[in-house]
Amino acid sequence: MNYKITHTTVYSGDERVSVCHNAAWLYPRNIGTQNVHSVRLDITPMPSVRTDLSDTFGNQMSLFSFNEGYDKLTVTAFSEVSVQGRALPSLEQSPPWEKVHRELQERTTQQAMDAIEFLFDTQHVKSFGELRDYTKVSFPTGRPILQAVSDLTSRIYKDFRYDSTTTTVTSSVAEVFGHHSGVCQDFAHLAIAGMRSLGLAARYVSGYLRTYPPPGKPRLVGADASHAWYSAYCGEQLGWVDSDPTNNLFPNLEHITLAWGRDYNDVPPIKGVYLGGGNHNLNVSVDVAT
Amino acid sequence: MISATEPEMTLRYQAPVGVYDELCSPNGQFRPRWQQFAKLFSRMSPEEMTRRESFADRMLVENGVTFNAFSGNENGQRPWHLDLIPLILSAMEWQAVGEGLGQRARLLNLIIQDLYGSQKLIQDRVIPSELLYANPRYLRPFKHLHHVDPFSLTVYSAELARLQDGSWTVMADRTEAPPGLGYTLENRVVISRAMPQMKQQLPVQRLASFYVHLQNVLKLKVARKTANPRIVVLTPGPSHPYYFEDAYLARYLGYTLVEGGDLAARDDKVWLKTLAGVMPVDVIVSRGREAGIDPLELGGMDPHGVPGILQAIRKGNVAVCNSPGSGLIESPVFMAYLPVLCQTLLGEQLQLPSIMTYWCGDKSHMTFVEDAFDDLVIKSAFQPSGGTEYVTNEMEEPAKKALREQIRSRPWEFIAQHRVARSSLPIWHQGRSQCGHAAVRAYLVADDSRYHMMPGGLVRVADTIAPMELSINAGSCSKDLWILSDGPIDDVTLLVAEDKPVPLKRTSALFPSRIADNLYWLGQSIERANFLTRLFRISMERLTIEATNDNLEMLPLIRLMAHQGVIEADYAIDGFDAHLPPLESILPRQVFDRKDPNGLGASLAEMVRLASLTRDWLSPETWRQIDVTGKSFLQANTHRFSDEHIDSLNILNQVMINLASVSGLVNEGMIRGPSWSFLDLGRRIQRGLDVVRILQSVMSPDHMRNKATLKILLEMLDCKMTYRNRYLNNLQHHAVLDLALTDETNPNSLGYQLTAIMSHVDRLPHDISDPLLGDEKRIVLQASDRIRQLTFERLVAAPDSPMNDLLKDSEHDLKLFSEVIVRKYLVHSGIPRHITSVGGEDS
Repeated sequence: MNYKITHTTVYSGDERVSVCHNAAWLYPRNIGTQNVHSVRLDITPMPSVRTDLSDTFGNQMSLFSFNEGYDKLTVTAFSEVSVQGRALPSLEQSPPWEKVHRELQERTTQQAMDAIEFLFDTQHVKSFGELRDYTKVSFPTGRPILQAVSDLTSRIYKDFRYDSTTTTVTSSVAEVFGHHSGVCQDFAHLAIAGMRSLGLAARYVSGYLRTYPPPGKPRLVGADASHAWYSAYCGEQLGWVDSDPTNNLFPNLEHITLAWGRDYNDVPPIKGVYLGGGNHNLNVSVDVAT
Repeated sequence: MISATEPEMTLRYQAPVGVYDELCSPNGQFRPRWQQFAKLFSRMSPEEMTRRESFADRMLVENGVTFNAFSGNENGQRPWHLDLIPLILSAMEWQAVGEGLGQRARLLNLIIQDLYGSQKLIQDRVIPSELLYANPRYLRPFKHLHHVDPFSLTVYSAELARLQDGSWTVMADRTEAPPGLGYTLENRVVISRAMPQMKQQLPVQRLASFYVHLQNVLKLKVARKTANPRIVVLTPGPSHPYYFEDAYLARYLGYTLVEGGDLAARDDKVWLKTLAGVMPVDVIVSRGREAGIDPLELGGMDPHGVPGILQAIRKGNVAVCNSPGSGLIESPVFMAYLPVLCQTLLGEQLQLPSIMTYWCGDKSHMTFVEDAFDDLVIKSAFQPSGGTEYVTNEMEEPAKKALREQIRSRPWEFIAQHRVARSSLPIWHQGRSQCGHAAVRAYLVADDSRYHMMPGGLVRVADTIAPMELSINAGSCSKDLWILSDGPIDDVTLLVAEDKPVPLKRTSALFPSRIADNLYWLGQSIERANFLTRLFRISMERLTIEATNDNLEMLPLIRLMAHQGVIEADYAIDGFDAHLPPLESILPRQVFDRKDPNGLGASLAEMVRLASLTRDWLSPETWRQIDVTGKSFLQANTHRFSDEHIDSLNILNQVMINLASVSGLVNEGMIRGPSWSFLDLGRRIQRGLDVVRILQSVMSPDHMRNKATLKILLEMLDCKMTYRNRYLNNLQHHAVLDLALTDETNPNSLGYQLTAIMSHVDRLPHDISDPLLGDEKRIVLQASDRIRQLTFERLVAAPDSPMNDLLKDSEHDLKLFSEVIVRKYLVHSGIPRHITSVGGEDS
């Protein structure tokens, strides 16, 4: 499936921003299931300095700053991506989750070695006893790992309500668990912390989702949005397998991957520090066209 | 052996069994390194020692040596205590320690560079991945930051203890921003003055060579081709516990002390914001936690943070020392792996052992920990010091069980160590020698491709052998460490001038905008305090003389106090004050109300706070006088005499005199540079506004014709004597107004303030390419002209044609002038904020 993606972020304030430094993770990744044909990051006004570099997880990040300030900042990322999708084996044929756990303990493979980075609590995403108990229900003894992951994803989908008013980017996993509601990022964090509490490796994936207009209505340009899901390490054979608890499915042809990290804070689409500007307004629009 | 002829004054103390005694060998003889000191010591009397001790204490207090001295939290202040008996070691012994620590520093440097680089140590399984990936001190933005510099670890410090067998062991490694370099120097300076005879007669090695190495290596880190590199000390500021030593170190080494707000990253370079514009910075000695150094990439808003600084380091445009990331190795878990790391990275045996450390994440270590659980110290594997430290044999059974559970569920987060009994040494306490236990802090600096150890160090003393916190203010006191020399003493010192005469200067180019900002508001708060004190004192005097409200002299004062918001506005309105409690009962309470934001207490507290932020730009006496002025008022016990006007008056009189003394010190003690200009500008603007407000409250026909009002006016303007000398008792309004407005020989007149402001404006840096006047100059010229153009007739006509417009215009111009100055020179030090996009607004 081929996509043309336009992701526009506009910052404006009551007053002029005098100095601003930014970091952005807006370039899609080239990976086995996804080819990036072209990418471009347009920034208005022209930044004083701008650098693209690779972060510790292999994502492309951009650093840019403004010495002269601005009244309004527009950052637009264009990309053309083709997604091949991935055929997963039948869930029952995947290895029992304890085998993956053992592989991570013994670290006999390079893949397991590389997965260790995604095995522990982070400053922002911490597991806790109740969440461990909740997760454990999906991981009974001997269950094939894909079945367990699929079950965890669909339980989060059923037990948690999608509600963008109950959480913010700084909400903790415990708060989300308590509210029984949140947004895609919260559900991803929930699954990640849960799996890590069992000694399994999981990572956070930032990206986009193709959306469909309601039947009979035209597709609205810019109505799409950033999306997030998680990826679970499923052993030497399967490697990392993505799962989307917001939509209760294994991503195939309709998820476009931007970047991954241990949690949201490793790979936010844009972050920055600024001086001046008064009250800030942020406006984001995403368009995923085929 | 204590012989009967032993003099009364002795170093001997009761040494506990089972620990190494620094002073005496097991046969009871002084160890050779102590013999000369002990002899000199025995010649002093206990009284003399006590006198020297209080001399040292006074010196430390006067030099402001405290922890967290300026945090605003009175309880947080702790004086630094120095014990006059040093710890004495031989050159040979210290050299052996130095070799061991030199090897250790090289090793730690290589570990840091590997873990923030290729991570071969993890890939080759020399150390478990958890040491990195489960470690909250591993900060990913620092990866690949370290190839730029051969030494990531420029300054290294080790915490040492001596075991019972006399061998040294490393208790902890300090690599992030090793504290103590300033306190060590200060200890040496104080002890040299308190015990000069000892320092002269014993061959004690000097410390300066260490700081010369430090200056050298910092100069080597300069990337720019320049004869005058700019090196700064970056501090987390006055609320940080070690601020004293940051300031001390900067002064000693000759570098500018800055906070995050003084620096800016632009074009991948780092700049210092000064009044004269931005100046490039080459090397930064960072004293704060590394996790706060770049709010852009690391988050947070630390006072020493500089958004964008990491990219400037990556580009090689600025060097930070120690390199961000060096703090990783402070995690005590690394000590469990240093022997094998030393073999792998250096191909050598680890010379100086660490305290035996077991990592619970390792199966065989964990088995040992389970078996030996009842006699261990359990700590976080990753955090170098702090609250969570468990001494198992002091724990109750249920707590021990809970701890075991905790360790089993997350074993990788814990280490266990044996308990160590530190060596004992004499301390001087309550007039005699008593027993303490020594924690020795050693310092190394990397220069010309190797590490050099300081021939000295910082000794902290604990009363017991219980585990000691790492913080350098832990323990009951500190000591100087004396290394005796075998040969002649080299006399390097940074405290005297070099042989070449320096070029003469009139200004210091590096005047940070933040300092100008604080001095400006300091000037305003001094004036505000002055005004309120005078207003309260005059009012209290009137109430004391005649306790009635129909006293005519009280009326203008009541109006003024109501306008200032220090009493309820209704007091100033005829007929409305009937329902209010009588003024004489509420005023004393009002004067001492520390919570009122308009009150005297608030402005004195603000004055002390701002002075503490600008201490380096004030004379020590000025700072001390400001501090005393504020504290003597704020700490006065006011409950006792709230109704006793005499007591209140006494306090106000004292504040008056103290503030006059502050003014005198400021006027006499400050160099007439930009720091003086900004402080005085703040004062002149505030005083100009005060004059205007005093006049506004009495500028009505009734008041102007009233002799009582004129009398109060003269008192508020502090011109009673001048008036009497000129006109005797002939009180006439136009002569009073002349003194208040037009008489530029009167330092309290509006005209005088405006003239003073004008001369400051001329001296401030401005764009010389612009031939026209700047806004600030135009405003003050206009305000000054308005006053200078006043005629005799106009002053005489005041009661019939009040000067309200003139006062209003003057007030407007002064306020506008202040805004322009703040915008032009001071605001670039605002508080930065985070923006972040939201991640999940989908579906």
